[in-house]
Amino acid sequence: MALFRRLTNLFRQPAIDRDIADELQSHIDLRIESNLASGMLPEEARRDALLRFGNPTSTRERVAAFDASLALASLGRDIRYAARQLRRSPGFTITVISTLAIGIGVNVAIFSSMDAVVLRPLAVPALDRVMVLAEQQQRGKEPVTLADFNDLRRQNRSFEDLAVLQGANYTLSGAGDAAQISADLVSSSFFSVLRTQAFLGRVFDESECQPGRDAVVVLNYGFWKRHFGASSRIIGQKVQLDQHDYTIIGVLPRTMQYPPAVDMLLPFAPTASQLADRSDHAYLVIGRVRDGVTLKSAQSEMQLISERLAKSYPATNQGWSVHVEPLLNDINGDLTPLYYKLIMGATMFVLLVVCANVANLQLARGVARRSEIAMRTALGATRKRIIRQLLTENILLALVGAGLGIALAAIYLHLTLIAMPARVARYIPGWDNISINGRALAFSVFLAVLSGIIAGLAPSIETLRIRLVDQLRAGSRQATGRSRLRSIFAVAQISLAVALVIGAALMAKGMSSMFHQADIYSPEKILTLHPDLPTKRYDTPEKQAQWYISALDRLRAIPGASRVELATALPYTDSGWELDLAIENRPTTPGKLQTAVRLAVTPGYFDAFHIPILDGRNFSQGDSVHTLPVVIVSHRFVDLYFGGANPIGHRIRLGDSKAPGPWLTIVGIAQEANYSLWENDHPPAVYTSSAQQPLTGSTITIFSNGDPIALANPARKALASIDAGVPLDPVQTYRDLIRDNLVGLMYAASMLALDAFIALLLSAIGIFAVMANLVGERTREIGVRLAMGASKEDVLRMIIRRASWLTGTGLIIGLALAFALARLVANLLRGVRPDDPITFATVTLIIIGVALAASWLPARQAARVDPMQALRSE
Amino acid sequence: MAKNDLQGTLDLLVLKTLDQNGVLHGYGIVLHIQSASNDLLRVEEGSLYPALHRMEQSGWISSEWSMTETNRRAKYYKLTPQGRRQLEAAQESFDQLVRGVRAVLRFA
Repeated sequence: MALFRRLTNLFRQPAIDRDIADELQSHIDLRIESNLASGMLPEEARRDALLRFGNPTSTRERVAAFDASLALASLGRDIRYAARQLRRSPGFTITVISTLAIGIGVNVAIFSSMDAVVLRPLAVPALDRVMVLAEQQQRGKEPVTLADFNDLRRQNRSFEDLAVLQGANYTLSGAGDAAQISADLVSSSFFSVLRTQAFLGRVFDESECQPGRDAVVVLNYGFWKRHFGASSRIIGQKVQLDQHDYTIIGVLPRTMQYPPAVDMLLPFAPTASQLADRSDHAYLVIGRVRDGVTLKSAQSEMQLISERLAKSYPATNQGWSVHVEPLLNDINGDLTPLYYKLIMGATMFVLLVVCANVANLQLARGVARRSEIAMRTALGATRKRIIRQLLTENILLALVGAGLGIALAAIYLHLTLIAMPARVARYIPGWDNISINGRALAFSVFLAVLSGIIAGLAPSIETLRIRLVDQLRAGSRQATGRSRLRSIFAVAQISLAVALVIGAALMAKGMSSMFHQADIYSPEKILTLHPDLPTKRYDTPEKQAQWYISALDRLRAIPGASRVELATALPYTDSGWELDLAIENRPTTPGKLQTAVRLAVTPGYFDAFHIPILDGRNFSQGDSVHTLPVVIVSHRFVDLYFGGANPIGHRIRLGDSKAPGPWLTIVGIAQEANYSLWENDHPPAVYTSSAQQPLTGSTITIFSNGDPIALANPARKALASIDAGVPLDPVQTYRDLIRDNLVGLMYAASMLALDAFIALLLSAIGIFAVMANLVGERTREIGVRLAMGASKEDVLRMIIRRASWLTGTGLIIGLALAFALARLVANLLRGVRPDDPITFATVTLIIIGVALAASWLPARQAARVDPMQALRSE
Repeated sequence: MAKNDLQGTLDLLVLKTLDQNGVLHGYGIVLHIQSASNDLLRVEEGSLYPALHRMEQSGWISSEWSMTETNRRAKYYKLTPQGRRQLEAAQESFDQLVRGVRAVLRFA
């Protein structure tokens, strides 16, 4: 009942206010009446009545507070008042709101994308309990053998279940272009381990994981969208994989982009011989640990089981143990979390700058509002009332700022999603899950608002404590210790901005130098094609070599193609794996690994990519599948394995001891080429002739005189005339190929640059605010100085000196911070030195320029002070 | 334990006054407290009203506008059944307080 009354009161506020006023007035009237009756004079009677009654205004407010639902009604009034106050100082309001919006927006956006990509790339319940199991020996980790997998699965108690995955490539045929797709064969326990169900249709079960019954597929969401246009009628339809019929039974949810870049999942139906195999380390194993089991205890149980297996099967299992690792680490790899940490760190810096800025502005405003607050207190407002009013004002600012911030974050996320090429995004699990994150939003808003409130309230509360009369009498804004606090905020802002700008500049520099590494080859004029020969049809080196030879012939006939070469890797892309290596007549020393990177190339490749043959001969047309297998080795190979002695005529063999390749005779020595985009060390390389030792997965390069993209269609046509069933994608320029590899870094660098720009902008605003306030507070002092004979230049110099002091302190702290950040960036990228003098000097000059520009306006205003007016205004 | 404070005491005085006099306006309540206490208790007159409105919101008293003997409009208050129960509780609590304070004073 009481609640109802309060609520109804809310809607008749004006009537209630009048009612209260009437009641209080009637009391005073009654007192006057009886005073008159007892013989007082009218004036005396009135005075006495008012004295006895106390402050009617404050009484009315207090009474009203009880009548209305305590806070609600006055909240509306507070909000209106706050809005009016904020409208009265638009400069302050706009600055604070836009600062908050930028800080909150950037933080929410970055954290949201980090959360989706690094922290929770798969929407799997309790992802931290999903582990990857690998078998390990001295040389490193390898996948698991199938017989071991079954023993581990049966004997352990730590895991709810284990699942096995095996990668496979198929040619998908039927309607439209043939496509090379990547599939994973998985056991039915895959779905229970990851706790995932079909988004559409169903997933397969145990009974379908048997040879003969396994002709069903479950599609990855992205592939379903790309290839089948997200049609729900696809369920139950047949597709052909390597000319066999499969039935589509389901589609996985969008958030299940695992394993990365896998287009479809097929039942894993092992044969009896596969099941008995303990030497083929070919199966990826994942498992979900039981609730309460730690990584450590799971690891130690696996250790026990593997020791048991080693005893039972010494021939195959001696020296092997089982390694357990969270799936999340496995998905993320090394670089992505590092990038995100870097960006997130920088963005937190920005949030700090935002907080400092808001606090600074609020402090200035709080000081400026002292007399307003003193006036309201004098008129009867209680302390609680005033604090509530100020809180309302701050929260109002924060809400508007946060609202704009969310809009900014949404725009930002949308732009990054558009900017990321789909062919790269496919490999980033979780990329499609990016959306605005509630926790990040709450956190940023909380931090920014808190700093604003604390800074905004502090001077006001102080006002409430001091004596009203003094405050009212003084009437003006006096400089206080607060200005020191504001200076500290400004210095903090400058130093954070310095560190960020230098970090971003170094990162951009490093990225650009990496991007331009390959410029000597004019990569924008080279078209790359990636023919993927289906291994089932091109199952012998002869067939593969034949395809490559006719492909090169036809491409060379295209007008506009000045040169066509073939290589398994191009400089600065990726060299592929290092292979084990044996040298004839030289026993391998145990524990000392001999490895080399292997590339299959055409004879013209060395010339096209500026790799001189230092000694011996190049490949020739005469080297074919039918002649003596030959090899060219890199200079570093000679240094490493022949101690600089002439290796020509020696024979080497590639591949591990179980399945070695043929002996290859060394016929030449080539100069070093850099195949890694990231590292500067050159692994020893061996080159074989693509006509003699062809490898699938080679890259065709077409050198063009003009626009290479114009050659894409003729090239496709030429190759389709040999075999229309060979996928060629992606067809792109060499430059774009490098750009794709750098996309993660570019993302990180551009984010850092954005952060740095925002920090710089905010610190400029910070300096401006501090200086403007300083001038405002010292107007009278400046007036006195001018009146006493100081020149305008003196005043200007005084203000600029102050600004320089702030900037200088900020710069010194910031440069120290920047050195630390620079070391981090230098570790991450090549071509970056942590003590890059040019970058440091340039950024220092920019900051000084910005700081002086920001303080110029207030300084000029100070110099324009009219001494007479400044003194009279007191 | 006796629950009491100054606000509680003012509530008690107002409730008791209304219990004894039936219907009164705020000014009348002030006069009654003053005369019944032989001028010992004087409230700041304005401070009575927040208490009255709070008690009304709590449902202890109800109000209505009416005319005084001298033909002025005034708001009159009277006790509700809930207010009577509150009065008993408050009185009990106050008695305990007084007994407690007395006992301590005697002991000292």
